[in-house]
Amino acid sequence: MMNGLIRQLSDIVNNYGLPQDFVVQASFYVIAGLACVFAFGVVAMRNIFHCAVSLALCLFCVAGVYLFLNAEFLAIAQVLIYVGAIVTLFIFAIMLTANIEDRSIRQANRQALVSAVVAAAILSFFIFIIIGAPWKASDAAVATGPGLENLGRALMSVYALPFEFISLILLAALVGAIVIGKAGRR
Amino acid sequence: MVRSAHLIPLFPFAAFAVNILFGRRLRKASALVSIGASFISLAIAAITFIGNARYGEGSYMVGRWLSFGGISLDFGVTVDPLSCMMLMVVTVVGTLIQIYSIGYMRDDVRFSRFFAYMSLFMGSMLGLLLSDNFVMLYIFWEGVGLCSYLLISFWFERPAAAKAGMKAFITTRIGDTGLLIGILLLFFTTKTLYFRDLGNLGINDAMLTAIALLIFCGAVGKSAQFPLHVWLPDAMEGPTPVSALIHAATMVAAGVYLVARTYGLFLSHHASLIWVAYIGAITAFMAATIATVNNDIKRILAYSTISQLGLMMLALGVGGYDGGTFHLMTHAFFKALLFLCAGSVIHAVHTQDIFKMGGLLGKMKATGWTFIIGALAIAGVPPLSGFWSKDEILSEILREGHPVLFGVAAVTSLLTAFYMFRLIFVVLFGKPRSELHAHESPAVMTVPLGILAAFSIFAGFFRPVKIEPLMMGVSIAVSAAGIGIAYVFYIAGNKVLPASFRSRFAFLYDLISNKYYVDEIYEAIIIRPAVRLAGIAAAFDSKVVDGAVNLTAYLSVIAGKVQYWFDLYIVDGIVNMTANITWLCSAVFRRLQTGFVQNYILIAFFGLAIMILIKLTGGQ
Amino acid sequence: MIPQNHFLILGAVLFAMGLYGALTRRTAIGILMSIELILNAANINLITFNKFIGSEALGQVFALFVMAIAAASAVIGLVLVIAVYRNMKTIFTEKMNILKW
Repeated sequence: MMNGLIRQLSDIVNNYGLPQDFVVQASFYVIAGLACVFAFGVVAMRNIFHCAVSLALCLFCVAGVYLFLNAEFLAIAQVLIYVGAIVTLFIFAIMLTANIEDRSIRQANRQALVSAVVAAAILSFFIFIIIGAPWKASDAAVATGPGLENLGRALMSVYALPFEFISLILLAALVGAIVIGKAGRR
Repeated sequence: MVRSAHLIPLFPFAAFAVNILFGRRLRKASALVSIGASFISLAIAAITFIGNARYGEGSYMVGRWLSFGGISLDFGVTVDPLSCMMLMVVTVVGTLIQIYSIGYMRDDVRFSRFFAYMSLFMGSMLGLLLSDNFVMLYIFWEGVGLCSYLLISFWFERPAAAKAGMKAFITTRIGDTGLLIGILLLFFTTKTLYFRDLGNLGINDAMLTAIALLIFCGAVGKSAQFPLHVWLPDAMEGPTPVSALIHAATMVAAGVYLVARTYGLFLSHHASLIWVAYIGAITAFMAATIATVNNDIKRILAYSTISQLGLMMLALGVGGYDGGTFHLMTHAFFKALLFLCAGSVIHAVHTQDIFKMGGLLGKMKATGWTFIIGALAIAGVPPLSGFWSKDEILSEILREGHPVLFGVAAVTSLLTAFYMFRLIFVVLFGKPRSELHAHESPAVMTVPLGILAAFSIFAGFFRPVKIEPLMMGVSIAVSAAGIGIAYVFYIAGNKVLPASFRSRFAFLYDLISNKYYVDEIYEAIIIRPAVRLAGIAAAFDSKVVDGAVNLTAYLSVIAGKVQYWFDLYIVDGIVNMTANITWLCSAVFRRLQTGFVQNYILIAFFGLAIMILIKLTGGQ
Repeated sequence: MIPQNHFLILGAVLFAMGLYGALTRRTAIGILMSIELILNAANINLITFNKFIGSEALGQVFALFVMAIAAASAVIGLVLVIAVYRNMKTIFTEKMNILKW
């Protein structure tokens, strides 16, 4: 469905003389770039509340990226779960514990430099591997995703066991959170 | 012939064993054991004597002892007139003296020990008399020496007695060494040690002389001849029965017996025999002179013994075998008698200084009269035994042609009579010179005196009597002169004459009364250097030997300290160093445990980066 | 149209940023947020591979599961942060070093 929307969008654009694909690609790079920017904001901002907001925006962008990957359901699920629940949780926790306004507190610890180096190194290694690795598929790959119906069917039949496990894990997390978070335990 | 002579020493030895082991329980009965054994020996000796008289002499073997290299040494017994006579003398005198000792030693604590030693002595002496070779003789020779030592120092709580015992043993030891060397020399040159072979040894004269003189050394020691006579006067520290038996009658006679036994050896060469005569003469004269100025009753008798033994040696030395051995027998009887009488007197008045005694004849009749009989015997008054034996000696000296020696013997006889009657007159006659509570001794002591007196009177008739008027006249004259002079000095001109003589011949008097300073000479020449040598040895031992020991100990201490240092600093240092290294390493590595989670994650990803790098660059 | 590598590179970048944040943030909540970034980078990879290699729905199902796991972990993490904050009155991880030697 989304593809159709984008196609309609691209048709309009096409009317303005731009190649259809170009808009799609350009929008991808924009969204990807925004995701990187917001991700950097998450790790670098001083005010922790700003970090949380930045995280939310980054996750929005990642959801957009999912659209390009023919994973519409996942994009919606991303927005619902991550932005809607997890980031809300983060904000709750920040409100409960953090000292937000203090600007003099340094945000990065002593090992910033070393970890920057290590992260950069790992990033370069990954990029090197990605570019150099002979990935199996070509650009002309699967045009459409599995679709919602197939996803649901797969979830209920082939991957039923992991699905149950996930529900158990979520139950455990719920119980654990309640137990640990109870105010009276000492 | 009765072959039982070898049993004679056995009974006293058995009595010794019984008394030593059970003496404490037997106490007074131990005397009976000893005397019983002695009596049995006497009986067997009598049987042997009679057998010898009837069947003649002989010697027989008793048992084999050693045999090596074709040579054998056996225990053997020799039975001949000499040994039979001596056996009788020793057993009779020994038994009588032991009976006497019951009374004399009655209050002594170690009563049974005394009789044990007496039995041991009897056994050794009888064994000595019966032995037929030098080895047996030497064994018993040492045995009697040991008993002499034990008995002289019987009252060893008194230091004088202990010293006297040691002096006797050491002095006779010197003589015994000569004897031993002589025996060894004899063995190595002739391979035989039997007495019966001594008459015909096929060795050269020089060797014969040497052996003879060496054997004579032993005799000189045992019989207290000059120069080894110094022990006998000091041996008077022992109990009087001991003096009587050992140092008057029997043991000292062993030397004379030895010379008589080995006479064949001496006869082979003239030079050795004449030495015997000269030593005997010197001894006889010297001892007689000392006895004339001595004041101790027992010491007078001791010097008398020495003098008489010298006389016997003189007799043997000039070839008068018969005279010498005859005098040996008679002397045993009357000297034992004299000593026992002296003991009886001492027992009564508790002093030994004759110038504290006097007038005892009235209070001690039996002792006194037997004393006089003994004195008459030794002075050579006929018809007592001493007259016959001394007369025989004198005539033999003259017969062999030694006028000088005859003169010496005659003078000695005169002096003998003089000092003997000096003793008699001072002790038994006159007025008491100090407080005396004299009483007669019990019968157990006086009966042996009487028996010995009888022997002293009649023993002279065991030999066939030969009358030689001239010689006998000379002897009687000499004896009478001696008694007369003694009478003049001590009865008639009492206290005046002796004192004037003493002052007039002061130098001579001092010389004689100090026994010619022989003891002092020995002290200076021999004893003091020996003691000094011992001191040096002791100092060497304590300084050098102990010093070496202490040095090793000191070095060990130092070594211990070094090891301690080593252990403390090096060994412990190594241990501590390993611990420190561990601590250092841990001090370094524990910094990893920062407790800071992000550090751990950093390290993990760092490792991951490294691994990827390695993989990318183709490493394995 | 968009090559596979670009998606993957995007994932790598997000992962690197999340790693840097996990190593350097001083508050526990900051670390948790960085971890969410990392998980999302993984999700991007998964879905990329699903689109380009074309296994039926495995990638997207897996990404769904990852999302659920991320949610659970975020819940527990935040509860723990709150509990630690109650006990130690601090949110700075440097102070939470009881395991230090």
